[in-house]
Amino acid sequence: MPSRIARRDVLVTSTVFAPRVLRAQAWPAQAIRLVVPFAPGGTTDLMARLVATPLAERLGVAITIDNRPGAGATVGSLAVAQAVPDGHTLLMSNIASHGIGPSLYPGIRYDAVRDFSHIALITQNPSVFVANPRAGIGSISELAARHRASAGGIDMASSGAGSSNHMLIVLLGRALGREINHIPFRGAGPAMTAVIGGQVPLMSDSLPSAASHLRAGSVRGVAISDAERHPAFPDIPTFREQGHDIVSTSWFGLSGPAGMPPAVVERLNLELREILGGAELRRRFAELGGTPGQMSAAEYAGYVAAEVAYWAPLVRASGAQPD
Amino acid sequence: MELLLTNLAHGFGVALSFQNLSFALLGALIGTAIGVLPGIGPVATISLLLPITFGLPATTAIIMLAGIFYGAQYGGSTTAILLNLPGEVSSVVTTLEGYKMARNGRAGAALATAAIGSFFAGTVGTILVAASGPLLTQVALSFGPADYFSLMLLGLIIASVLAQGSVIKAIGMVVFGVALGLVGTDVQTGQQRFTFGIPELSDGIGFVPVAMGMFGIAEIILNLERPESRSVLTNKVGSLWLTKEEFRRATPAVLRGTVVGSFLGILPGGGAALAAFGSYMMERKMSKGRDQFGSGAIEGVAGPEAANNAAAQTSFIPLLTLGIPSNAVMALMVGALIIQGIQPGPRMVEAQPDLFWGLIASMWVGNLMLLVINLPLIGMWVKLLQVPYKYLYPAILVFCSIGVYSLNNNVFDVYMTVLFSVFGYFCNKVKLEAAPLLIGFVLGPMMEEHLRRAMLLSRGDPMVFLERPISATMLGIGAVALLAMALPALRKGKDKALAE
Amino acid sequence: MKINEKDLVSGLFLILIAAIGLWLNLDHNMGTARRMGPGYMPWMVFWLQIVLGGLAVLIGIFGDGEKLLRWTGNEIGAFVGGIAVGFAVFYILKPMPGFFGQTYNAVGTAMMIGFLVLCIAPGWRLFGLINASMCLFGLLLEKMGFFAALVGIIVMSCLAEREHLKKPIGILGTTIFLLIMCWFVFIKELDIRVNLWPQL
Repeated sequence: MPSRIARRDVLVTSTVFAPRVLRAQAWPAQAIRLVVPFAPGGTTDLMARLVATPLAERLGVAITIDNRPGAGATVGSLAVAQAVPDGHTLLMSNIASHGIGPSLYPGIRYDAVRDFSHIALITQNPSVFVANPRAGIGSISELAARHRASAGGIDMASSGAGSSNHMLIVLLGRALGREINHIPFRGAGPAMTAVIGGQVPLMSDSLPSAASHLRAGSVRGVAISDAERHPAFPDIPTFREQGHDIVSTSWFGLSGPAGMPPAVVERLNLELREILGGAELRRRFAELGGTPGQMSAAEYAGYVAAEVAYWAPLVRASGAQPD
Repeated sequence: MELLLTNLAHGFGVALSFQNLSFALLGALIGTAIGVLPGIGPVATISLLLPITFGLPATTAIIMLAGIFYGAQYGGSTTAILLNLPGEVSSVVTTLEGYKMARNGRAGAALATAAIGSFFAGTVGTILVAASGPLLTQVALSFGPADYFSLMLLGLIIASVLAQGSVIKAIGMVVFGVALGLVGTDVQTGQQRFTFGIPELSDGIGFVPVAMGMFGIAEIILNLERPESRSVLTNKVGSLWLTKEEFRRATPAVLRGTVVGSFLGILPGGGAALAAFGSYMMERKMSKGRDQFGSGAIEGVAGPEAANNAAAQTSFIPLLTLGIPSNAVMALMVGALIIQGIQPGPRMVEAQPDLFWGLIASMWVGNLMLLVINLPLIGMWVKLLQVPYKYLYPAILVFCSIGVYSLNNNVFDVYMTVLFSVFGYFCNKVKLEAAPLLIGFVLGPMMEEHLRRAMLLSRGDPMVFLERPISATMLGIGAVALLAMALPALRKGKDKALAE
Repeated sequence: MKINEKDLVSGLFLILIAAIGLWLNLDHNMGTARRMGPGYMPWMVFWLQIVLGGLAVLIGIFGDGEKLLRWTGNEIGAFVGGIAVGFAVFYILKPMPGFFGQTYNAVGTAMMIGFLVLCIAPGWRLFGLINASMCLFGLLLEKMGFFAALVGIIVMSCLAEREHLKKPIGILGTTIFLLIMCWFVFIKELDIRVNLWPQL
């Protein structure tokens, strides 16, 4: 049988540690359950844990991370949408479940805007187009030239149909006036393997997952989907610089079920923004390729609504949705 | 070579530090325990333990997680052999001969073979990783979608060799397994297929509910129905150790299994899933004991177990050389590293030599520990079979139920298990076999993915499967295998027709 | 001509499933060979399954006369009754508010009651009880907690064994032992996320 380390007392670290002094308020009255609708170990999960630790300290209660992956993060999101809105069940809302998902899954059982109390934006990160170094594609104009020249269009891999990375391929295809041959994979890892192995020349990937391959030179950055160049990769030009107005970032934030007490939402927003403004967190996020957010609760709610509206036509155009 | 030795010496220096050694042992123990528990897999455990690793040095953390991974492989074979409960694809193969051996009173021998075979294969696999990791990476990278498709197709063709009865029905079950595997979100378009609007099905039917239902639970019902057959389980417990004859038969099987597994483990696109039953097929056709297959042939435990563990080692190659995890466990390890501020990537060898060589050395150390842990445990496990079945079966049922629930913390999986238990019971009554179905279930979705990707890349030209040398070779072997299978069947049919 | 009933039923089963699959697959776009739609692979797979099922039927017809177990009238009645009651329970409970309307509780209840109805026929008793006990576990776990669910599954599954019925003390012992063991393994050591006690 597993010995000491697996014991509950050590596992308190998984419920992020709680200090002794309980503040004299009705909330938080008990441990907070933070639903992360992705498998443990992924970028979102890691960033959630990085934020949850200081948040638990500030709130004075434990925060348990509950990984509920599935169906493009919609399974975990639904669970939170149906939970009691007392501020003890929270969700890592994100671009998959609250931006693209509502248009992608016709049977989705929640409204990404109305069924949640959106609290704060946690981070945004850009996507990056990368190429196999031997493919001889270093810029969008080279990509476009190759795209025009080849009979069936150029091939480009992504981490999956309906991902924001896929949508970027659709956007660029539109801008170039001809559909790019999208090759979806099951996750970023296999897609990256195919690009490094030369099976597919190009890939649209999120910056955090491509970062180490870019640094090692096993792939070459072609364009980054941010408004400005990324400080960690100053040599990768933006789409805008290369003449295409494509700016898109993947994001996630904190939300709860609709109808949470406004005071609780405000408190959480305040604490989070202080945490996100701290130097330590900025440094860790920068390593992972993300930028910490600083939105008010109302701004974040507006942002989510805008994202849902923004992606709907693109999802339809991508063919990633059943007719 | 000299450099390799220096590096390995460095690695052992790291791995043999007291702290790393104790955490390797801890990982191996936890892994064995959770491997034995049906349904609780290494993924669930590592994700529970992930936060603990934050407080450890990166190397120590990874060594412990790797220990859990191997430990689970060893432990998984135990339940497969003793209780007919496979926790993953490779154990499905182990149940075929291993559970039969247990029923013949050779549980001890089967467990010992599994442990020793795994250790040997683990050693070879580790040496391969250390000596030629980067070179083998090139092999992995040269596999394109067309090659993977042909490999999977070959896998499905030989899966019908798992048949213990009618080959046609076995192929039928392989195909039905493929169909079951198609349930869920289509990778290419994101469309939901055969999900009936159930969100839990959008990521496909889980492997554990299918395996647990069709093997574990259905087996309980069948055992209860035949009181005479469970007394076999409880009364006959032969010698715990291998006889000379068994040892002589198992050795070549282990060697062959190691070769097959080492190679297939390198391929991140699902090669490792093929390792165990690729080896089973080989043994069933090539080994001296081939006529005993289906009634507890030791080769059928030794080969697949070795192949599986060799593949478990070499499947680290893409992670170590490219920074790309080839399965869910490794994705978690990457997560653990990132939290520690280390970005696993192609430059890990230069940037983190301690971590890289320490991990490789600890792979071997971990395997040795598991051998040491598991051999003495065999006696205890075999004793477990002497617990009267009326007390044993509620325990199995309870452990399966909790395990299945804990997969996603969702009771949906419990009800799925019940459905597959009903299906498994039906299959048993009409002599449809579950093992080929499970292989099809696992390989089918991968095969579809690779097929469609290959066709997208070739612009719809199917010739790509014959033009690429790797793919063509696989298809050639597949064709030969089909012929080899069809000929005896045809001949038998003719004999029968003549006899009438 | 001796019919192998097992092969015959297997073949018909494969054909039936494949036919349902093909029908469901009408929803999915076939696509082209180059850009295969979601329906392409299922279409190929189900047709192959029909062919194989057909072969199994043929082999069964010219088979060696292996017979299926005969069902008694009682067993047929329980089988039909179990399915009918199960569906009825499901459709009654599904629209109810509260416990039965949530998650899969209606499904679980329907399945459990269906399996219990099946137990009326002695031939189905083991099969019905074991499956029903797992359903009971699923029903109790989230609302009534870990321990109640364990007691439920252990006691109900033990009823399947005649020896336990003769000596109910065995059930008590098994229950207590397994409760302690499961608490130790799953709660104390593995720390799985589940309510231990009823949530009222």
